[in-house]
Amino acid sequence: MADRRPEAEGMPQAKRSKTGDLDPAANPYLAHMYDNGDVDSRNNSYGARNGNNNGARSQTSLADFKRHATTAGQAHAAEDGPLNPLNNSPLSKQYFNILKTRRDLPVHKQRQEFLDMFHKTQILVFVGETGSGKTTQIPQFVLFDDLPHFHGKLVACTQPRRVAAMSVAQRVANEMDVKLGEEVGYNIRFEDVTGPKTILKYMTDGMLLREAMHDHNLTRYSCIILDEAHERTLATDILMGLLKEVALRRPDLKIVIMSATLDAQKFQRYFNDAPLLAVPGRTHPVEIFYTPEPERDYVEAALRTVLQIHATEPEGDILLFLTGEEEIEDACRKISLEADEMIREADAGPLKVYPLYGTLPPQQQQRIFEPAPPPARPGGRPGRKVIVGTNIAETSLTIDGIVYVVDPGFSKQKVYNPRIRVESLLVSPISKASAQQRAGRAGRTRPGKCFRLYTEAAFKKELIEQTYPEILRSNLANTVLELKKLGVNDLVHFDLMDPPAPETLMRALEELNYLACLDDEGDLTALGQLASEFPLDPALAVMLISSPEFYCSNEILSLTALLSVPQIFVRPASARKRADEMKALFTHPDGDHLTMLNVYHAFKGPEAQGDPKRWCHEHFLSLRALQSADNVRQQLKRIMEKNELNLVSTDFNDKNYYTNIRRALVAGFFMQVAKKDATGKTYKTVKDDQSVLLHPSTVLGVDSEWVVYNEFVLTTKNYVRTVIAVRPEWLLDIAPNYYDLSTFKAGEVKTALQRTLDRVKRKQATKRDR
Amino acid sequence: MPTEDPVPTANDASEEAEEDDYMNMVIAEPTQPRVKETYTQRRLRKQRESEAKGRVKSKAERAEDEAAEREAALSRSLLEDPATSSTNKGLAMMAKMGFKPGLALGSKDNPGARLEPVGISMKEDRGGIGLDTEKKRKFREEVEKEGKRVKAEEGDYRERVRKEREDARHEGQVGAAMRVAERMHGEKEDEETFKAGGAPDEFVGDGAKRRAISTKPLKQINVLWRGLIRKREEKERDRRMRYDLHQSLSRQPTYDDPDEDKEDRRALGKDVIQHTLVEDLEEEDPELDAFNALDPGERLHKLVLHLREQFNYCFWCKCAYPDEEMEGCPGLTEEDHD
Repeated sequence: MADRRPEAEGMPQAKRSKTGDLDPAANPYLAHMYDNGDVDSRNNSYGARNGNNNGARSQTSLADFKRHATTAGQAHAAEDGPLNPLNNSPLSKQYFNILKTRRDLPVHKQRQEFLDMFHKTQILVFVGETGSGKTTQIPQFVLFDDLPHFHGKLVACTQPRRVAAMSVAQRVANEMDVKLGEEVGYNIRFEDVTGPKTILKYMTDGMLLREAMHDHNLTRYSCIILDEAHERTLATDILMGLLKEVALRRPDLKIVIMSATLDAQKFQRYFNDAPLLAVPGRTHPVEIFYTPEPERDYVEAALRTVLQIHATEPEGDILLFLTGEEEIEDACRKISLEADEMIREADAGPLKVYPLYGTLPPQQQQRIFEPAPPPARPGGRPGRKVIVGTNIAETSLTIDGIVYVVDPGFSKQKVYNPRIRVESLLVSPISKASAQQRAGRAGRTRPGKCFRLYTEAAFKKELIEQTYPEILRSNLANTVLELKKLGVNDLVHFDLMDPPAPETLMRALEELNYLACLDDEGDLTALGQLASEFPLDPALAVMLISSPEFYCSNEILSLTALLSVPQIFVRPASARKRADEMKALFTHPDGDHLTMLNVYHAFKGPEAQGDPKRWCHEHFLSLRALQSADNVRQQLKRIMEKNELNLVSTDFNDKNYYTNIRRALVAGFFMQVAKKDATGKTYKTVKDDQSVLLHPSTVLGVDSEWVVYNEFVLTTKNYVRTVIAVRPEWLLDIAPNYYDLSTFKAGEVKTALQRTLDRVKRKQATKRDR
Repeated sequence: MPTEDPVPTANDASEEAEEDDYMNMVIAEPTQPRVKETYTQRRLRKQRESEAKGRVKSKAERAEDEAAEREAALSRSLLEDPATSSTNKGLAMMAKMGFKPGLALGSKDNPGARLEPVGISMKEDRGGIGLDTEKKRKFREEVEKEGKRVKAEEGDYRERVRKEREDARHEGQVGAAMRVAERMHGEKEDEETFKAGGAPDEFVGDGAKRRAISTKPLKQINVLWRGLIRKREEKERDRRMRYDLHQSLSRQPTYDDPDEDKEDRRALGKDVIQHTLVEDLEEEDPELDAFNALDPGERLHKLVLHLREQFNYCFWCKCAYPDEEMEGCPGLTEEDHD
């Protein structure tokens, strides 16, 4: 990669110049993990300023700023203090320390240029590579010019990831010397850390979308910044479509689209040729190496490459991209073993290996920022750290000290296909754009090297240009519900940057119709209105809303929470048998959902709550997942109460206790049903006729004729995961529209349902006769 | 049939249908006299049928079925499948919003909008990027190479047979040329001896005999036809050895029996047998070997040249010319004389 800005090398290095100086506390992405004593103990005398009141104007250094006509110089002076320009409290020493590093960031040089453009246009596209400082600085630049607090408005900055929203908000609060949740706050699903004084709000793109449902013109905001737009998350794409319309209705609303890649022309075009401002990142050239031949086994090749780098290349840390948790943990183990041998036998330097993936607990994620180990003895070969991560290390996380990148060219990506209605994670080749991003990671500290484990010809011919945006790889049922709620009625012509295939929309509308969220005209029903209130997939929302009818809304509420968090069962490779034994303690023979519910009830019991950490450890359960489920349950409970949905339970000793729960599940998941086929080995999904197997993790035996599944997973085989046994009568009874037999193709499923129907009718007839 | 009419009319269709019927006419099998199935037979048949139906498929077979089903479903557009498109309420809603099959969603000014969902490709191994393509490419190349090799071999065979035939023919011509050269040399030598006035030895005139046992060491004979002489001498030697063997009764002629006395020796004819083995024959002759290693065509060419230079004789015209210009001879090669 060419160093597009060689003079950057001459600039003073910000914050950390050597790997040894790495301070995780200084990393904005991890800021949420550090309780900042300074911030808490500071004298926060907000009394002088009265929220969104013009009365405060005369008292701060921003008072005589002219909105949308300020200069970088004015802002500079205000930032220099001595009083906080937002609330007039004295600025701390830490503030000035951070201010110095802030002014070294590449974006700072172009503050005036940014302001000039910002003044002139309603929509601005801003391109800045990771490390340019755009996520933390641009919102502050906007704040000092837009002055939302004098007009009772807010500035919003969206992030695709919850962790980023939290960490960046904390970091910016520190930078502005305010308490998190006061002037600067964040809002993510199930967590709102903002207050009446908040003027800058970091939030997930999904949260802004939810707000738009109730406030179609986003009137609370004077400026909306969409950060990391290049990631093209589903919510960002919908927001862009929405903002394009809102911009017409609200000429006073300013919009900044921030992207890390140079594919910005696409954004410009989409926003009616909006002007573009690009700030170079602080990058060094990266030399790229390809393999002469395609690799037979990319994991093995990756390990070999990492060890070879360690043996032959000069000092510098290594970043290896792999696809998933299991693969990463396995690779970490193997690299450590091999490295130990190299140290013993070839006098290689010490090597530390760190995994990095989304479901890793934050404390462990943070370890990647630890400095590389020192030489084993004074004067010995330098130590090195290796980070083995998923593509979360591709754009969002900034790890200094990486000089070598090993890129096998794969990542796990979500796929959805409306033809077989399967949404799954599959290992797929990355795009050229991704490969470039990965290579760029090697040039953050000094000139680096990127080892691509494929040939140059394969790079050119086999990789697609850009990763498919999420909207093309997702089930859109939830999105359609949201759009309906957002007041978008013509879904066919809604101007999306990358409109999905018509079949995807057709499936989504069909699903919502079966769930009775949309009527045949395509209008939201009362149930649909209610379902859209929940930040859940429509099937889950409908299940939750209908649960009081089945006298088990308490249980379904817990279950919905459990299904919304990562896997609660832990099954480490070293103790699989023991983990399975522990799981057996909670097993309910009728299915995984009931087993999960048993776990949750036990977790809430006095024994577990005495020492939840130990209890979870002993029972091979994820404390984090359970606590998070607990939190989600609280949030959902609030929404239920707000909407007057009763929380009821069947008496535990009633024989229908579990039956009611199973029936309630059918109310939401009747479209995810599979029936055992004649051979008794496999199941067939209803209507789509796909052969599937029960996932090995299930507690259910193969003796259940009909099952409801939570997930259809494509791996080397088709699996359904998290399954529960149901009765065919319930399907016919609870979802008669979907189980209208005239719409079924002739086959085993239809025959079986017909037989059930006849039996039910006979029974009813005899009952009547009596 | 009005084939020039590009628009098929109802008439056309029916005609075609008739024709099709005719083409597809099936000759009915003579109906078998219905044999009544006995109870046991029926039971056995039923049993077999149910066994086939109930047979548990192997894992591989199941995986194959799964993949086939998946592929089939993935390649079938929901919009085109009449079973789904006619009754699908989602599609009906979209139609109300102004959707027409074949068009993409979104703004009209978006040329990149998708018509088809993104495909799903399952990765089942850890092969690197480009491995599958590389494998396919290698396979294709292998097939091409194999095809070429077969063709090349066919060509080679023809060429080889042709060359063998040519070589055999040349070899015969070399033999003939050698004999000519030897004869002409012999004549020339005799002439010279005669001219020199030297008394011809007793064998003069009996050329054949003189030639039979060469008095000249082989090495002094021109290499061009030395092979001929050598071969003849070898033959002669073999003949003699065989003769001696026959004459020597049952014993090795060289066997020295200590009990034999002079008389015995004479009686056995041992005293008369002279071993006139040509010692040259045992010697190595690298010059000749080198000459013989040459292509027969080349050897022939050398001989032809020699004859022309020495004797103004053209091997192809089969005559000697009076002077060096050799006027009237069309050229050096056989083709020239065609």
